[in-house]
Amino acid sequence: MMRPVVNKSPMPGFGLGMGITLTLLSLVVLLPIAALLVKGAGLGLAGLWAVASGERVVASLALSFRLSLIAALFNLVFGVLLAWVLSRYRFPGRRLLDAAVDLPFALPTAVAGIALTALYAPNGVFGSLAKTFGARIAYTEWGILIALIFVGLPFVTRTVQPVVEEIEREVEEASATLGASRLYTLRRVIMPMLAPAALTGFALALARSVGEYGSVIFIAGNIPMKTEIAPLLIVIRLEEFDYNGAAAIGIAMLTISFTLLLAINAVQVWTRRRIGYV
Amino acid sequence: MQIEIDEISKEFGPTAALHPVSLSIPSGALVALLGPSGSGKTTLLRILGGLEYPSSGRVMFDGRDATGLTVQDRRAGFVFQSYALFRHMTVFENIAYGLRARPRRERPNEAEITRRVNRLLDLIQLPEIGKRYPSQLSGGQRQRVALARALAIEPRVLLLDEPFGALDARVRKELRQGLREIHDATGLTTVFVTHDQDEAMELADRVVVMSMGRIEQVGRPADIRTRPATEFVREFISA
Amino acid sequence: MSDVSFTRSEVRPAYRKAADETPLVKAVLVLLVVAVLAVLLFAPLLAVFAEALADGLGASLAALSQPEARSAIWLTLAVTGVAVPMNAIFGIAAAWTITKFDFRGKALLLTLIDLPFSVSPVVAGLCLVLLLGANSSLGGWLVASGVPVIFALPGIILATMFVTFPFVARELVPVMIEQGKAEEEAALTLGAGGWRVFRTVTLPNIRWALLYGVLLCNARAMGEFGAVAVVSGKIRGETATMPITIEMMYNEYLSVAAFSMAALLALLALVTLVLKSLLEWRYADQLSASARH
Repeated sequence: MMRPVVNKSPMPGFGLGMGITLTLLSLVVLLPIAALLVKGAGLGLAGLWAVASGERVVASLALSFRLSLIAALFNLVFGVLLAWVLSRYRFPGRRLLDAAVDLPFALPTAVAGIALTALYAPNGVFGSLAKTFGARIAYTEWGILIALIFVGLPFVTRTVQPVVEEIEREVEEASATLGASRLYTLRRVIMPMLAPAALTGFALALARSVGEYGSVIFIAGNIPMKTEIAPLLIVIRLEEFDYNGAAAIGIAMLTISFTLLLAINAVQVWTRRRIGYV
Repeated sequence: MQIEIDEISKEFGPTAALHPVSLSIPSGALVALLGPSGSGKTTLLRILGGLEYPSSGRVMFDGRDATGLTVQDRRAGFVFQSYALFRHMTVFENIAYGLRARPRRERPNEAEITRRVNRLLDLIQLPEIGKRYPSQLSGGQRQRVALARALAIEPRVLLLDEPFGALDARVRKELRQGLREIHDATGLTTVFVTHDQDEAMELADRVVVMSMGRIEQVGRPADIRTRPATEFVREFISA
Repeated sequence: MSDVSFTRSEVRPAYRKAADETPLVKAVLVLLVVAVLAVLLFAPLLAVFAEALADGLGASLAALSQPEARSAIWLTLAVTGVAVPMNAIFGIAAAWTITKFDFRGKALLLTLIDLPFSVSPVVAGLCLVLLLGANSSLGGWLVASGVPVIFALPGIILATMFVTFPFVARELVPVMIEQGKAEEEAALTLGAGGWRVFRTVTLPNIRWALLYGVLLCNARAMGEFGAVAVVSGKIRGETATMPITIEMMYNEYLSVAAFSMAALLALLALVTLVLKSLLEWRYADQLSASARH
């Protein structure tokens, strides 16, 4: 027996709800993305490759993904630590800190961008400090990295925190009664439980960083081949009315992001299965 | 009201929850649908209440085809397993809900609504709790409020899904007696679902034993106990 | 519902030593976390206000009352005034459909709703330009008919909707799954029609989660930069929203003006965080698991 498309139900509102959902989803999200894909199809694989393999494009894509990966890795480690500290320890100011973690979600990216630049530019508070050691932060890769860490900061913490809160103390105590040291318990018992959520947060942070624009362009310096991120190159191509060029970079970004997300998703499913969730 | 279930079946995707089953429930009866989980008893109850459409077959209320009747028009008082009380409403508002939901022409006025709700609160022997919220009630009180709410719409039939499932043994005994009394007082055709054979045998005047989406036996409690029709029934009631 | 003001861990007795880090380790970790957050989060926030007030409060307020600044504020309010309610309607409709019914392709639908989170805002803007820009056939026709979308208000609204699309739905779906549909079914058996069930049963149960989603959606909508930068054309006094105006002023070395407007948006962010924390603290039981901590 074929499974019906919809299990008929006396609950009202399926048609209306589905109608609104599909209409808005199509108009706002699906049609525009389809327009990009159609444009790409018009160029053909060879045409796409010709644009996407250009030296400046490759440099910008490599920069964006490399720095996003580093930023997301930093946030993975720090995010798990932060989630642990915020949900397990009691100290004055904990609530304030907990609320502040979401600042990068709430603060507009352009605001973050100019604020970070003000701090890390050679005449800024941290920038001048770095200068005394002969280092430069703003207008180098370091500046971009700081901006990407900033925007990706909340993701891992927010996905891991509910899991930490649900871990039963008995599991840790059981581990201790079996003679395990605290570190061993953390490594063999706690970390595997947090891994799927941490990976989800990592993936979200990575996706966000790769596409980030507002907080990066002010601090990046935007030197072609050196500190020019892929989203900025799209904007430059559009300002030159080079729609094919912009579309090719856009498709390259989408393809790489989705491949990464799929891979992470696969790892996640595997991790979850191994520790018997699902 | 007399109920006739005629070759009702129900599939959820590829799995059959109910194979075609037929059952006749006389007016004013107190019937238990008894079986283990997954036997299809709750699905059958939900079909009677209009909460699920059958894949095939008909439901007749007093000889009239009620299969296509909407859940609102069915006027079946339904008591949910979790009680499904509206958390954000007082007990009074919960019980009044069905009266207020009526079209303006049939809606009683405020004084009449108050009178009816108070009468129902008396009937469930909880006259003082109208202003409280569901979260402030004990499990047994919640169950009785859910019952009163279902009775407020002057139902044609009373359907209860595991009505005593979430309660401890002592309260359960009390409420069984309460349901029996309400049934006898109102004369409503009443169908309840349970997995507890003692409950079914003690309370119902007719028991329907179900397993794997099929009806195994229908009979008076004494008959089922002394003359189980199938191997399944024998094992289930001796457990 | 009366017993929610304590989180579980707070009513429990002090943790036993056997399964806990030593006090020294704890202190070091807490200090580390505080230090990193101070540099990464609090310093930029302070920098915004310090730079805005560099020439005193008067200069800052004067900069905000310039016509350019005022038109940017109005434009941002107008854009969010349309985009956020639209996304709220979408979120409610999507959550209702997904949580109350059983249909094929539900997982796909959920994935598609989440799609905007994994698309760069700049790419989102690019998509809209390719679909509706003057060089596309649809966009050419729109311009000829006198309703240009790109480099105009509708484009900015669409771009804002795209990047904030999943917020409300994402908050509502888990809440409505957790609440189940028994209360709605009870209302139906009591004779209530569809709208009445939604208005009197569903809406009161999801109101705080809805507010939470709208709050986050609004914060993101007011601050959206990348997608709007691409579709707005940055026409001064016409299509320059607050974040775009910040960029223009910053690039013209109007530091106080740029940071004053930034401070305004930062204040909005702070208000958002305070309201969000209040909701999480007061109505934790009525928000999704990812929203309460």
